[in-house]
Amino acid sequence: MKRAQSFWVPLVLFAGAGVLALNPVPFESPVVSVTPLPARVTDSAPVRQPKLVPEYRVAAFTYQCSDCHRIIPSPQETLRSLTQHTEITLRHGLNTRCFNCHHRTQRDAFVDDWGEPIPWNQPQLVCAKCHGPVYRDWQAGSHGRINGFWDTTRGPQTRRKCIECHDPHAPPFPPMRPAPGPNTLRMGPQEPPRHAAEHDPLRVFAPDRAPKPSH
Amino acid sequence: MANPDSNPSSGAAKPATPEMSRRGFFVKGTAVAAGLSALAAAMSPLRHLSADDLPGLEEFLQKHYKEMTPEDKTRALARIQEHVQRRFGVTAKIADPPPLDGVEFVYGLNISRCIGCRKCVHACVQENNQSRSPEIQYIRVLEMEKGSIDVESANHHYDSAQVPRPDKWYMPVQCHQCAKPPCVKVCPVEATWQEPDGITVIDYDWCIGCRYCEAACPYWARRFNFTEPQIPAGDLNANMSYLSNRPRRKGVMEKCTFCLHRTRVGRLPACLEVCPTGSRKFGNVLDPNSEVHYILKHKRVYVLKEEVGTLPRFFYYFDERGSRYREPIAPVNPKEAR
Repeated sequence: MKRAQSFWVPLVLFAGAGVLALNPVPFESPVVSVTPLPARVTDSAPVRQPKLVPEYRVAAFTYQCSDCHRIIPSPQETLRSLTQHTEITLRHGLNTRCFNCHHRTQRDAFVDDWGEPIPWNQPQLVCAKCHGPVYRDWQAGSHGRINGFWDTTRGPQTRRKCIECHDPHAPPFPPMRPAPGPNTLRMGPQEPPRHAAEHDPLRVFAPDRAPKPSH
Repeated sequence: MANPDSNPSSGAAKPATPEMSRRGFFVKGTAVAAGLSALAAAMSPLRHLSADDLPGLEEFLQKHYKEMTPEDKTRALARIQEHVQRRFGVTAKIADPPPLDGVEFVYGLNISRCIGCRKCVHACVQENNQSRSPEIQYIRVLEMEKGSIDVESANHHYDSAQVPRPDKWYMPVQCHQCAKPPCVKVCPVEATWQEPDGITVIDYDWCIGCRYCEAACPYWARRFNFTEPQIPAGDLNANMSYLSNRPRRKGVMEKCTFCLHRTRVGRLPACLEVCPTGSRKFGNVLDPNSEVHYILKHKRVYVLKEEVGTLPRFFYYFDERGSRYREPIAPVNPKEAR
């Protein structure tokens, strides 16, 4: 009996080793091949690239604003139904009058609170008329895009103006498509997260604390 | 397997002629063969070992970063450059910029403005040569219900057609470069430490990959290379430095370094450069004219997990009003508003 046992143990080991050497369950790596990113994800250009010049384009022609408005008078008080510039949708909250920002007579300029012109390349002064706290933050650098060097003694810094992110006629920042989410080994697709209230041990005693679906 | 026949007697008194029956020989031989085959099967993954998987002699004998002389550093940088050249076919420019005097870096992030577009995540991956597969990302963007900061139920897998979603807000989390970093405290080999400018760095050649730091970090800012990082050679960022974005190998930790190869020469970090909303602010907090100085002085600031006492150098801040979270003043369709 003893001899028989001692014979079978190495035989089983041997058979096991043989099976293992044949690699019966091949290792499947959870690592997938690299998927290239869409170009929009890494594009660092600002969302708008307006020319800070009073130009108006019709077909292949480019005019200065004043080219037309020297001869074509505009209505004294602009209404919301325009006959010209219909491509502009004005969705700027309570600010529904063209001449709140544009100068009445000097059409190549904006207008400040005293009726004086603001040059076209200084749009932030127009916005500052109403958006004081944001203008203050923009001046201090806590609002708005800054690119280049943080240490201006070592290199140039670009400070974007208001209209390089916001459409002045429809100012809320445009929504965009998000870049692909994480697919890392630990952060791969998971169950949707559950609200912490589901783990509240007292929830059975207080029905109003019962979890509600949050996602 | 006690077989009296096969066992040579242990005593020295017996003669040196071991007696072994045929059966005993067969059993023993089978056992030895089985053992050897099992060993071979267990060791068979070593067949796939390439020369790159093992450190060279020079790398093996390399000292800790802080104990290196300038000559040692030059030699180490040359060795890394040669390694990058061999592995990726890219001639990298590897530097080791020192921390600047009178500079302490601080990051501000405006959570009133962040829209959760995740561009920072991928800009960071490109800049810092993280593994593309499996993905390693230093920044996680959390999507949360408006009205609370409940990171436990936050979702970082959101995949909506457009962001921001109207009832959600977004909070990117990355290394907070703590003034009291728990990750540094737990490292058993001192492979990670805090630099004078506030950046916590890792000597990738000294890290043993125990992942204690990953467990210690309350912000989940540290990442581990479970496999050899895969980076397409064309995507490699050739502007590298020893402590930040040189290619890592399997089995070491890595983390955000505020792009120190950029920021220590005066440039802004990559995540900030790409942010379309300008929510990210970076600078020298010791400079009273810097943006981050203004933010800490004048804005409402939120410190994530302040109660754990890590004293982060990463601050979330808010705007008073006029942020994207207010309702639109004019309804899009006036009929619906009624």
